[in-house]
Amino acid sequence: MSNWPAETKYIGQNTPRIDGAVKVTGKARYSSDIQAAGWLYGMILRSKWPAAKITSVNLDKARQIPGIKAAVRARDGAFTVRFYGEEIAAVAGTSKQACLDALRAIEVQAEVRHEFVVNETEARKENSAQVWEGSANAPANPRPRENGNVDTAFPECAAVIEGFYSTPVQIHNPMETMGNTVSWTDDGLTAWSSTQGISSVRDGLAGALKLDHSKVRVVTEYMGGGFGAKFGAGVEGMLAAKLSKEANAPVRLMLTRFDQALAVGNRPSSFQKIKIGATADGRLHAFEAENYGTAGIGAGGDSGGGGGGADIPMPYIYQVPNTRVKQSAVAVNAGAARAFRAPGHPPASYGMESAMDDLAAKLGIDPLEFRLKNDPHPIRQREYKLGAEKFGWNQKYQKPGSSPGVVKTGIGCAGAAWPAGGGSRDTHGDAQINPDGSIEFRFGVQDIGTGTRTVIAVVAAELLGLKPEQITVRVGDTNFPPGPGSGGSTTCASVSPAVYDICQKALQQLQTQSGLADARGENWFAACKKLGVNPLVVHGQWQQGLSADHACGVQFAAVEVDTETGLVTVKKVLAVHDCGLIIDKLTLESQINGGVIMGMGYALYEERVMDDLSGVVLNPNFETYKLPGLADVPDIEVVLINMPERGVIGIGEPATVPTAGAIANAVFNAIGVRVGSLPITPAKILAALGKVPPAVAA
Amino acid sequence: MKAFQYATAHSADSARELVAGKGAYLAGGNDLLGLLKEYLISADLLVNIKSLPGLNKIEHGRKFWTIGSLVTVAQIEDDADIKKTFPGLHEAAAEVASQQIRNVATVGGNLAQHSRCWYFRHRDTVCLKKDGDLCYARNGENRYHSLFTGNTCISPVVSSLATIFASLEATAIVLRDGKETRMSMAELYQRAWENPLAHNSLSNGDLILRVEIPTARTRSAYLQASDKHAFDWALVSCAAAAEIVDGKLKSPRVALGSISPVPHQVEAANQFLDGKVLDEATATQAADLILKDAKPLEHNAYKVPLAHALIRRTLLKLKGEA
Repeated sequence: MSNWPAETKYIGQNTPRIDGAVKVTGKARYSSDIQAAGWLYGMILRSKWPAAKITSVNLDKARQIPGIKAAVRARDGAFTVRFYGEEIAAVAGTSKQACLDALRAIEVQAEVRHEFVVNETEARKENSAQVWEGSANAPANPRPRENGNVDTAFPECAAVIEGFYSTPVQIHNPMETMGNTVSWTDDGLTAWSSTQGISSVRDGLAGALKLDHSKVRVVTEYMGGGFGAKFGAGVEGMLAAKLSKEANAPVRLMLTRFDQALAVGNRPSSFQKIKIGATADGRLHAFEAENYGTAGIGAGGDSGGGGGGADIPMPYIYQVPNTRVKQSAVAVNAGAARAFRAPGHPPASYGMESAMDDLAAKLGIDPLEFRLKNDPHPIRQREYKLGAEKFGWNQKYQKPGSSPGVVKTGIGCAGAAWPAGGGSRDTHGDAQINPDGSIEFRFGVQDIGTGTRTVIAVVAAELLGLKPEQITVRVGDTNFPPGPGSGGSTTCASVSPAVYDICQKALQQLQTQSGLADARGENWFAACKKLGVNPLVVHGQWQQGLSADHACGVQFAAVEVDTETGLVTVKKVLAVHDCGLIIDKLTLESQINGGVIMGMGYALYEERVMDDLSGVVLNPNFETYKLPGLADVPDIEVVLINMPERGVIGIGEPATVPTAGAIANAVFNAIGVRVGSLPITPAKILAALGKVPPAVAA
Repeated sequence: MKAFQYATAHSADSARELVAGKGAYLAGGNDLLGLLKEYLISADLLVNIKSLPGLNKIEHGRKFWTIGSLVTVAQIEDDADIKKTFPGLHEAAAEVASQQIRNVATVGGNLAQHSRCWYFRHRDTVCLKKDGDLCYARNGENRYHSLFTGNTCISPVVSSLATIFASLEATAIVLRDGKETRMSMAELYQRAWENPLAHNSLSNGDLILRVEIPTARTRSAYLQASDKHAFDWALVSCAAAAEIVDGKLKSPRVALGSISPVPHQVEAANQFLDGKVLDEATATQAADLILKDAKPLEHNAYKVPLAHALIRRTLLKLKGEA
């Protein structure tokens, strides 16, 4: 189907990022680097109560702090806060210290509610405090989704296991926190946002502030990562706008790491009770699951990327003829969830892939063989076989728990599916071709760090017969032709066909205007010269037939587990991935490396910890909200399957889906017992091994 | 943080005079600035003591080595003589935080650092340690907390250096009220055992000047277990030191960190080990003695088998480096 060239010079090769130099030299301006003329610092006062009615917010004393230029309330009148860290007010001033002092001078009157609940298991109980007054925290009887008949199917199974698998709330922690610099004057509003959706930020700001869309401009030259939570300007963006208007100056309001843990999104938890059975020949036959998780006070705040809810796909990538699945979201007094890199998939993969290995062990089947029998997808079949060979699965595999000694080794694998990853038809772009042969592409998309500029340059260079460094690419400005948000792994598959379209049109016009039969490559400059004094401006749009969706991917992990200290060391992750036509191998591998590292954090370290009694997040920092460091990261080997015939597909999300499941299974294979809960900490390993004594009454 | 004044001291006595009242000593600042930024403490005056003469040296004596309180953790880690003479001290220093932090963290600051309990460190919880009414951790999230304590607070000491110094029977020399006072590691933390408000036995104005380490114990070792492979706090740390004479332990000492408000030492275990040939069974018996009275809570009971493993490994490491 695909019209992409068969022979390529740049597409599918290794092109270093065209903006690599400005990034490593610090010249690239990230949203948090923006210093608009006369800018002020902005900061937010947050609720120190998990539940309270805020009856009054007095800003007078805050305004008197030297250097303070504006102070605004988050909401007018009395209002209710439902989680620790909910926004109450904000200030803007000439220094951070002035803002800090002002926050402490704000007088808040509140009727504190002592009934609140932050633990999702407690919140499901009948006598639990209610997060939303008069409404249960979770449905009493979630409606089951059924296929076939599980009640008759389970007795027909030769082996059945029941497992309980849980995953924690994962906090959004991109290296650059959420935030904006906003300048709001009578002429309009400009926001320099750390966002993965400049258009959605513009639309959100314009809608909330009742401005014409044409009066709002959003700029994101460079931003430090967005994983689903950065589609909107957020409460912090609205507050920055109000502060800017009041102060008549630009306000930079970037969140602190502490703020980041509270109110700007997270991946919901999951508590998956799974019963699964197979026939004697190893075919999955029956699956029954109940899952609940919490998305905080609710899901979907600023979730332009879709999802963010607590439901997960079950039984994930496997086809089981008889299934019954019940799921429910549980409200707790905590910040709302948002879309988070492959919403729903990493917890689904961890739960289901764990159950698969537990059942394989009961059947006495090699878990890889078990997958090949029950996952009919032709691409994953190919990936499992290729990966197994490169990984040495057959040579390394031993029965669970049979590794000798104190430090045990184990291997595991898991698969991914990502239904999105295709292009957005609403992707527009321009190219301006100058008589001197220079060419500039302008796209109203943003680079969330994955290399969008480089992708555009690679495709253009290939089609025009130029070098990537000869292509100037401008993105991240709503003044450019509109493009989609970077969510669902769609940016690469959105811009590449649009660049294709632009290049085709540009070549046609150049050839017509110059009289040259082929304007590419060595003829490029001669053709451009014939333009005379007027540049050629070409508009293009995403076209069908050049991109697709539905990437797969499988990963293999090898671990060592110290059975006395509980420490898990990931020795190797082999990641086999497909994403249709590969545009740039270097940026692709980089994205997969990042996905594996993030998946590893989910498997072993990351977890939001909340205190039942005070309702606060106890680990709003990287000291105790633990993330993988260099010393933790294993040898990651990326194996790519190039499928040009499918067209371009995104990779951002599938790359992180199977890692936790593969690592968890490798741990199970090493120690022979299941740690049914992420993150797999030393404490949980020692408990699973039966080494932990009972607690003595406090 | 609140505004403060800043002064540089050029003698220990003037530092002490400056800090009297509401001042605080500033050396590496890793702990102090964190506390100030979270408004957990306030100081009217920060007294820079990095300028104090003579406190940034490692001095070799026949019976004692002296480490100045301004010696950085990285200096200890990188010192080849320390690695040879006190291998456990080298190992403990190498495990502290990250390279950047070790570069500025001082011995005095490492010993005097405050609790890392996440309730204590949280800006909006008022726990016992902050003069509140209850220890939230005791019935709450206590995975990182103590197995032993002499009071209601279960925040443990986390100084890696205190753990290894205790096993080496090192002495801290503290300037108190103008006089030099000698304190064992047990004494340096005793007040935290008794009083939830205390992180150690130092009073405002007390200044650690140096640490003296006896050279008698020619073998030493340190191990810690963490959630992660680097730049992470110890869940449990363990240090051991001894001489080995005719294949037998002489004057052995074992100390553990992160399981008690003080470096955890059990004299009965040290006595049991004295004169013994080190083997797996001996190490196991010592570990049993050391952990006998542990009082695990809901989420920290894993520290019992973890500490047990570390005690055995650390002791056997003493033997391995013959």
